[in-house]
Amino acid sequence: MADQVDSMSDAELRTKLAEHGFPIMPITASTRKLLVKKLKLVLDNKTKPRTSVDNKADTRRSLARYSSGEESDLDTTTNAKEKRGRRATTGGAMLPPAANKTRRPPPKKGSPAKRDSDKGSESDEEKPAVRTHEEVETVTTRTIKRTYAANDQDDYETGSDSDVDADKKTSSPFRSNSRSSDYISSTLPSVDVGVGISPPKTSVFSRASIIPTNYSSSYSSTLSSSDNLNSIRSRLGLTSSLADRPTIIPSSSYTSNYSTNTYQPSTSTIDEVESPYLSNFTRRLSALKSDPPRSTSFLDRDTNNGSTVLPRRSFVTGINRSDIGDYKSATDKKFLKNNLVSLALVVLVALFFFCLFFMYIVKKNDITSVADDQNSVIPICQLHIPGNRPGINCVPKEQVSYAKSLLKLIHPELTARIAAYKCGQPGSLPYLTEREIIDIASAKAETSDVSQCRTDLNNLQVLLINNPRWGLKVVQLSNLYTKDAEFTTISATDLIVQQRAKGTVAISLTDPSTPLSCLFINTLYSAGSSLIIIALLTLLGLGLQRAYKYYVLYQKRKSEEIYSMVEQIIDVISQETEDSGEPYISVDHVRDTLILPQNREKMASVWDAAVKFIQRNESRVRMEVQSVDGEDCRVWRWISPHSSPKRSASWQGQAFETQEGSVNNLVVSPTPCLKIRHMFDKNDNNSLLRVKIQDAILEKCDSHCNILHIDIDRTSGCVYVKCASPTDAGVVYRSLHGWWYEGRLITVKYLRLERYMQRFPASPSAGPFLAPKRHSRRDD
Amino acid sequence: MSSTSQKHRNFVAEPMGEKPVTELAGVGEVLGKRLEVAGFDKAYTVLGQFLVLKKDKELFQEWLKDTCNANSKQSADCYQCLKDWCDEFL
Repeated sequence: MADQVDSMSDAELRTKLAEHGFPIMPITASTRKLLVKKLKLVLDNKTKPRTSVDNKADTRRSLARYSSGEESDLDTTTNAKEKRGRRATTGGAMLPPAANKTRRPPPKKGSPAKRDSDKGSESDEEKPAVRTHEEVETVTTRTIKRTYAANDQDDYETGSDSDVDADKKTSSPFRSNSRSSDYISSTLPSVDVGVGISPPKTSVFSRASIIPTNYSSSYSSTLSSSDNLNSIRSRLGLTSSLADRPTIIPSSSYTSNYSTNTYQPSTSTIDEVESPYLSNFTRRLSALKSDPPRSTSFLDRDTNNGSTVLPRRSFVTGINRSDIGDYKSATDKKFLKNNLVSLALVVLVALFFFCLFFMYIVKKNDITSVADDQNSVIPICQLHIPGNRPGINCVPKEQVSYAKSLLKLIHPELTARIAAYKCGQPGSLPYLTEREIIDIASAKAETSDVSQCRTDLNNLQVLLINNPRWGLKVVQLSNLYTKDAEFTTISATDLIVQQRAKGTVAISLTDPSTPLSCLFINTLYSAGSSLIIIALLTLLGLGLQRAYKYYVLYQKRKSEEIYSMVEQIIDVISQETEDSGEPYISVDHVRDTLILPQNREKMASVWDAAVKFIQRNESRVRMEVQSVDGEDCRVWRWISPHSSPKRSASWQGQAFETQEGSVNNLVVSPTPCLKIRHMFDKNDNNSLLRVKIQDAILEKCDSHCNILHIDIDRTSGCVYVKCASPTDAGVVYRSLHGWWYEGRLITVKYLRLERYMQRFPASPSAGPFLAPKRHSRRDD
Repeated sequence: MSSTSQKHRNFVAEPMGEKPVTELAGVGEVLGKRLEVAGFDKAYTVLGQFLVLKKDKELFQEWLKDTCNANSKQSADCYQCLKDWCDEFL
């Protein structure tokens, strides 16, 4: 196994180390050797079945002792102080790691010699079974070792010793997880012994109750992490419930039970790391309970070790998921059961309201029930009353039913018409004229007796006027030939007679209802149209706002341009008049100096505005007409008393000494780059600020130094200067640091070249040095 | 560790910069030479290893023993030195 470690890949090595409780750390060329060595040592200790539990606990407790782990076989009862002393001496004489391989075999040889005793044969039997499961190699070897220890009667006493030892340990909490779990498994045999040896105890407590309490109490003494403890306890609750079963359970089913149940909550890595030990624990419980012949149980367990730990993933993915699914469906069922009554109530209420609504709809349209109502006023024609005229103000008794049937006949048609009208269908009218009614009646009744239909209609009209609650009305059309649906209601029977001759009588509904679908569509239409209107208005508003913003921006930019132009003009005038000695300068000349030829047409308006501004608001400049080279042209005369007000305003003197020998002067200038603070105000929006600053710096330093690049950072208010050499930077530093510039005290710092290049990657590293604008202009 | 050496205090007092490996507490001339042969010529390279080993005392001491045959005291001093430095400056 130790040979495999050498050829392991980094990832394998890491996982192996993690399995053994080492912190996961990067495996590099320099650390690999060390980690490989560690792993080998651990594996060596594992494969030695003859070492007592005490030894194992001792050697694993402190990783510092791995170097001297070979000696731990010899002496286990020496106290920690003696050991440290020994380690100090052996450590000094230690050989380089390559020599360790040669040193390791002796203890290995020593252990088989011990193994020749009675239990040695069992460990030999186990080994082949272990080798077959290479994936879980380390885990299985562990568990086998433990089970072996559990059945080894001689080790019990030393096992209890390891209890005490482990309590004393003071190591980092990170590693204590795995160690204490080791410790648990190593203390278990002693607990088992207690149970097995003293029968009175078992009479008082059940076995399962003793083991967990011992276990957890000893555990809590070593492990401070409470959540770990909780998880363990929950598992113990599980195992105790299993252990309470009186029947003898075969170990195979037992372990599979365990793995399905305990892997369910395993989400943290700690759980996964610890799970082998716990499985071991439960297995031992099962072994105690079932107590089968030893040799067969070993074989069983071996196969189980392989099968239960190997398909760990499959348990997690397969069984566990189905468990969750079952659980889900179970909860769903429970939910349904609990809320059945309330759900039914809700459904009943909904049904009730639906029925009500349905009945309302049906009732409203049911003309037959209304017409056959006993409360209807039916003026029956009686012969002995002289005013009675059939078809005009009364109805013959035998013809009432005919009239009613006619009503029932035309009502659906009328409703359909009203609906169509309400829905806005073109060409539909909200009434039925007499002619149409007669047509419908004759078609439906299949009688060609038009006069009979006519009589029925007259009777019906009389009935309708007398019964307004039937929901129908007799109307008089205002204009028969247009498609306009204008009509007036007729409330007296006498009027009908007059209108009948004109043929403008029709029947309509008093309270026409709109069908739901139409209502819906109409609402949609109106909503849509209003939405569109709102959207249009919003767009319009946004557009206006945008336009206004743009306009304001444009104005601002324009005025800024004008102001900057004015400043430039004044600058040029002051400089030129000073330089040339003439007190005035041609306006066109200034323009041609400032504006490039291709921009002159474009900038004409700006220029004119600037000229006007200067004429109106600039007191230092006076515009006049002079003859220049025999030609009259407009000129600006600089009438400021100061020859160069700007120059004197910019550099206002030194605040403190920076010359040779002063405290503020650095002897050597470390870098060629500088950072100048407080040279301008952060709120300064002058677009020509950079040029201005550059000119000011170059002017101040004059021609003493070679500056490659100057730039400003408006957000931080810093100016960055890159010089050709550190010496030049020193010159700039001395000539700028501690000076007052336009009322501000500026400070200069050296900046590393890398940082400068990071900020201004495009800054030149060689080439032409910067020269003041003014000079270059004069050279032109 | 009740008291620390002058070397330890010197090292922990300031950023290590480009200090040679011999400035580390517990690393003298002999160990320094061995470490230089192994490629660890500056203190910061040892710091790098220290950090790669996640400031683990046992592993770092083990590594130092392997690399330059340091004894327990030397490695413990070196470990403490780097740890204090890290607490201060990292």
